[in-house]
Amino acid sequence: MRRVHAWATTASVAVMATATSAAYAAGGEAGLPQLKVGTWPSQLFWLVVIFGLGYVFMARVVTPRIGSVLEERRTRLDEDLTRAREASAEAAQTRADYEASLDEARNEAAEFARNAANEAQAKADATEKKAAKKMATRIGKAETALAEARAEAESNLTAIATEAAIEAATQVAGVKPTKAQADKAVKAAAKTLVAQGVG
Amino acid sequence: MASEGMHSPVEQFEIRSIVDLSAGGYDISFTNSSLFMLLAMVVGGGFLFSAMRNRELVPGRMQGAAEMMYEFVADMVRSNVGNDGRAYFPFVFTLFVFLLFGNMLGLIPYSYTFTSQIIVTFAMAGFIFLAVTLIGLFKHGLHFFSFFVPQGAPKVLIPFLIVIEVISYFVRPVSLSVRLFANMLAGHTMLKVFAGLAVMISGAGGIAMTGSLLPFLALVGLTGLEVLVAALQAYVFTILTCMYLNDALHLH
Repeated sequence: MRRVHAWATTASVAVMATATSAAYAAGGEAGLPQLKVGTWPSQLFWLVVIFGLGYVFMARVVTPRIGSVLEERRTRLDEDLTRAREASAEAAQTRADYEASLDEARNEAAEFARNAANEAQAKADATEKKAAKKMATRIGKAETALAEARAEAESNLTAIATEAAIEAATQVAGVKPTKAQADKAVKAAAKTLVAQGVG
Repeated sequence: MASEGMHSPVEQFEIRSIVDLSAGGYDISFTNSSLFMLLAMVVGGGFLFSAMRNRELVPGRMQGAAEMMYEFVADMVRSNVGNDGRAYFPFVFTLFVFLLFGNMLGLIPYSYTFTSQIIVTFAMAGFIFLAVTLIGLFKHGLHFFSFFVPQGAPKVLIPFLIVIEVISYFVRPVSLSVRLFANMLAGHTMLKVFAGLAVMISGAGGIAMTGSLLPFLALVGLTGLEVLVAALQAYVFTILTCMYLNDALHLH
């Protein structure tokens, strides 16, 4: 700083000397007009008046005005930034809420689906059980009926065979076996047939 | 001008009265110098005032320029003086606008450059010097004089250094005023010399007239340089004011 200062001073003095000598060389009147002391009071007077008034104008009107505009802009920018930040936070909150509710809905839907599936399964199981039970009853009944029918048919068959055996014996051999004898013979024959796989 | 031969290049600095006035035996005529002081303030202040008329939130070109000027000086004060320099901002700003517009308007042909008047620059520098010294004295009392004692110097050297510091302190108003004055004086004299040369050579007539092209081109280049100098010197004067103010407020 000091060095620059000294340099500048030296330089300007040198420049002034050059300029002054140039002025003399050019054959100017009695040197520089700047050194005419008679003009100084007027210059000082007007400098004080004009700079003074200018200072008042700048200090009272211009700088407060520019300063307030800049200040206003700064506040406005700050406000806008704050508002933007708030809006951004709000948006994030909304998004989080939305996602939470979406998750909830998804869980609910999944549970509902699970319940529905369970219920349907239970219903189907119950129906199947009932049907199986019904079927079993019917099968049982049918089997009983069949067994009865078979027993009846068997007994009928024995009776018929006995009668036929008696008849045949009477006709063929001229003997009339008793019913008990015939029955015995038929039963023995039937046993043989069953054993041979016919029955 | 060339018709009556070459004028003195310093004739442009002559003070001419516009309205004769006197008070208390002193001549306080409104002169060409006063007129351009007034113009510098009116044009500078008027520009800043009208540019800020609409107080736009998003500034246009003019308002942008005015704000830029404000911010430029505000930054200068902030970085060189600090926060307690805020009170002096209007003064520094006025100073900068006054000098910048004074220097720039002075470059317009047939105008007058009041900053080429040593009495004007010295009055400003002297006022700043006095004000800054008083601010320092009020703020720090007698402690202010420690400013002249360099810190960390060998004890033997201190008396000499104090002498040097005191001299350099009192040279401040001189260097501050002479720098601006000399730059303006030299610049405008040079412009006039080259312009005069060009006109003189062209007066020779015939093929010799082409010789005037050289000083003319030099004149064009110098004019550009002077625009730079005009802005730079306004800046230098202002920033040195800030530095002196900083010294007074913070002592080293």
